[in-house]
Amino acid sequence: MRNRIQELRKERKIRQEDLADAVGVTRQTIISLENGKYNASLQLAYRIARYFEKQIEDIFLFEEE
Amino acid sequence: MWLNKLFADSEVDFAARCRTRMKIGIAVVILGAVTMGMVALWGGEIPTLYLEEACSGEFVGEYYTTLGVALMAAGGAMVLKNLRWLKHPELMRKREVAETDERNRLLGLRCWAYTGYAMFFVLYLGILAGGFISVTVMVVLQVVLVVYVLMLLLFRVLLSRCM
Repeated sequence: MRNRIQELRKERKIRQEDLADAVGVTRQTIISLENGKYNASLQLAYRIARYFEKQIEDIFLFEEE
Repeated sequence: MWLNKLFADSEVDFAARCRTRMKIGIAVVILGAVTMGMVALWGGEIPTLYLEEACSGEFVGEYYTTLGVALMAAGGAMVLKNLRWLKHPELMRKREVAETDERNRLLGLRCWAYTGYAMFFVLYLGILAGGFISVTVMVVLQVVLVVYVLMLLLFRVLLSRCM
């Protein structure tokens, strides 16, 4: 699963810490999500999508192998 | 089910959780005091039914005293930490995020799982080696392993009912 969190965050000049605060997780979780080391739960994906005012599938890109 | 409140992704009232932890901390301090009181009651020497040659009642007494002090220190630290979070809302919010963070929770669960697998392996090795050292050691380790498996099955059944 790829995501566009880093791209969207940089586009809007948001710090990792601010995004983490807004969606109720630690900065380390945002770093891991951006690096692709961790996949967000549906709840977190929803909160992130709502924060960026986008649909979940616009941010989280499912890649079928 | 109360198990859900402990582990599942249910909403958490963190202040209430801190207060519960403080109560548990106080109970741990009392347990430590009871342990030390037990030693004092027997004048520092516990009348153990079966003592290995290398040990003495005094050794067991000292062991329980150390255990009591450790319990009291751990319980006291637990109370103070949670009291600090309750008094400082900003600190409490940070702690709540750290504790409820889904990646941290997953890390915690995985740590427990891997520790569980490692424990099985170490116990099995201990049982294999135990037969060459002492039958008592071997039987004790075997009992620990059986209890461990039974607990695993019990939690599997309980959790599958609420998830």
